[in-house]
Amino acid sequence: MRRALTYAVLTVSALITVVPLLYMVSLALQTEAETLSADPVLWPASPQFGNFAELFERAPFGDFIVNSLIVAGVITLSHLIFDPLVGYVFAKFRFPLRNTLFVLLLATLMVPFFVRMIPLYVMMAGLGWLDSYQALITPFLMDAFGIFLMRQFIQPIPDDLISAARIDGASEMAIYRKIILPQTRPALAVLGLFTFVFQWNEFLWPLIATTTPEMRTIPVGLTLFNQEYFTLWHLTAAGSVILFVPTAVLFLVSQRYFVKGITLTGLR
Amino acid sequence: MLSHRKPTLSGRYARTAYLFLAPAILFFGVFFFLPIGNVLSTSTRTGPQADRFTGLGNYARAAADPAVHHAFLVTLVFSLAVVAGSIVLGLALALALNQPLRGRVAFRVALLVPYLTSVAIVGLLWRNILDPQLGVLNRVLGELGLPPQEWLNTHPLATIVAVTLWQGVGYTMVLFLAGLQGIPEVYHEAARVDGASGWLRFWRITLPLLAPTTLFVSVMAVISGLQAFGQAYIITNGGPGDATDLFVFHIFQVAFDSRDFGYSSAQSVLLLLVIVAFTVVQLRAGRRGEIQY
Repeated sequence: MRRALTYAVLTVSALITVVPLLYMVSLALQTEAETLSADPVLWPASPQFGNFAELFERAPFGDFIVNSLIVAGVITLSHLIFDPLVGYVFAKFRFPLRNTLFVLLLATLMVPFFVRMIPLYVMMAGLGWLDSYQALITPFLMDAFGIFLMRQFIQPIPDDLISAARIDGASEMAIYRKIILPQTRPALAVLGLFTFVFQWNEFLWPLIATTTPEMRTIPVGLTLFNQEYFTLWHLTAAGSVILFVPTAVLFLVSQRYFVKGITLTGLR
Repeated sequence: MLSHRKPTLSGRYARTAYLFLAPAILFFGVFFFLPIGNVLSTSTRTGPQADRFTGLGNYARAAADPAVHHAFLVTLVFSLAVVAGSIVLGLALALALNQPLRGRVAFRVALLVPYLTSVAIVGLLWRNILDPQLGVLNRVLGELGLPPQEWLNTHPLATIVAVTLWQGVGYTMVLFLAGLQGIPEVYHEAARVDGASGWLRFWRITLPLLAPTTLFVSVMAVISGLQAFGQAYIITNGGPGDATDLFVFHIFQVAFDSRDFGYSSAQSVLLLLVIVAFTVVQLRAGRRGEIQY
């Protein structure tokens, strides 16, 4: 009896989270008339795959996709390069001002993005970088969360391994690349997945930093498309599906890493 | 937090350390500390170019501005509702899932999917579903024999709270699940032997031992609730009227629609202070309330 109740609660909850997303797919395949019908359609009479082609004709959606891939891709790559390097230094080195620098890094965790958005906009305008990839990418090249995650992973690696390599004459870079990095692979997977998904979904900064449609990323391009063509719900939904599919696929094939990532960053 | 175990590599390697740190020092300097300095300095200036010094003028203006008060109140109510909802729903789902069930992974995946979805999708999708004329929700309600809704007009703030919870509850559920799995089974065993009911065990064992997780969830939910933006920008445009004028949305409009960088910077600083104060108070309260078993 109690078990049946548990299943019922979980099933209803799962339906509430999943069915709206399935309805988004349905909307994306409806005709314009179906989306505007006074008696809303649950599933289209005949799926309109042409909606996707129509979307690309009405808006520079190809540009949106390329921009999103470049921005999220470069930022992810940068995190994978720098977050473990900085994490390694804080895990294994002693040097002047170490604690001061660490506290300053900690402090950046307390700085939400909205605090930076106005000065970053003014800075980018001053540099002439508004509406460019530099503007979209540079503010997110590293972050303290990723650095802490990597530091946690690197700390348990025995110091003796590093000392032995030094005695053997290995260079500092070689020690980092050959001894430290290979041991952090699971953490790097978590870091890469999270960084990519969050940057792929990022909304506020690309909204502020872009001025022409051709530079917009998918979330911003799609939202502004919807403001302009607010009756074309079949196309808005088609764009949503395009935005959704990559993260959904990444999540389905690696959901264990996502769950691990949440608990790792959550319960430091 | 820094561990007390000292790193054993000696100071001889300080040069390497700084070499490896150089890009990070440059990055955080230019893209975090310089902007923080600039937002503080801009907040003391006024005019269309934000070039006239006004001291604390913008802060005094905010203190007397009913629109700022209203946005703050809306955001506070929004955040507290999101916190309460995240804890109650997240914990309930975690308790349900923390049992030997078939399809646990499938349930977890289903409940977590919206968390990884862009706020753009969430906002646009729910605006469509909730639309009184076009939306599919009223058709579903009709077929269930329920009256049609117009929630975005009648209960706008509660509605965007619900949408926010729809997106985020899987995240808190996963955190609570990890917390639950960290509670040693022996406590429950011992209580069961002593004849404690399930309800009693929940209040006396599970909930107190989950306190660190609950604290973390509430800190995170307050921080993200206070800086919510997309819900207002995409779903309600702050309305109807100013009913959902979330603070960051308000700052965004003052900065980028009214082009008043001085005034909007001062408001950013004020919201940051509120967030820091909330976090400190919560962590303090959490430390005092911690129970050792």
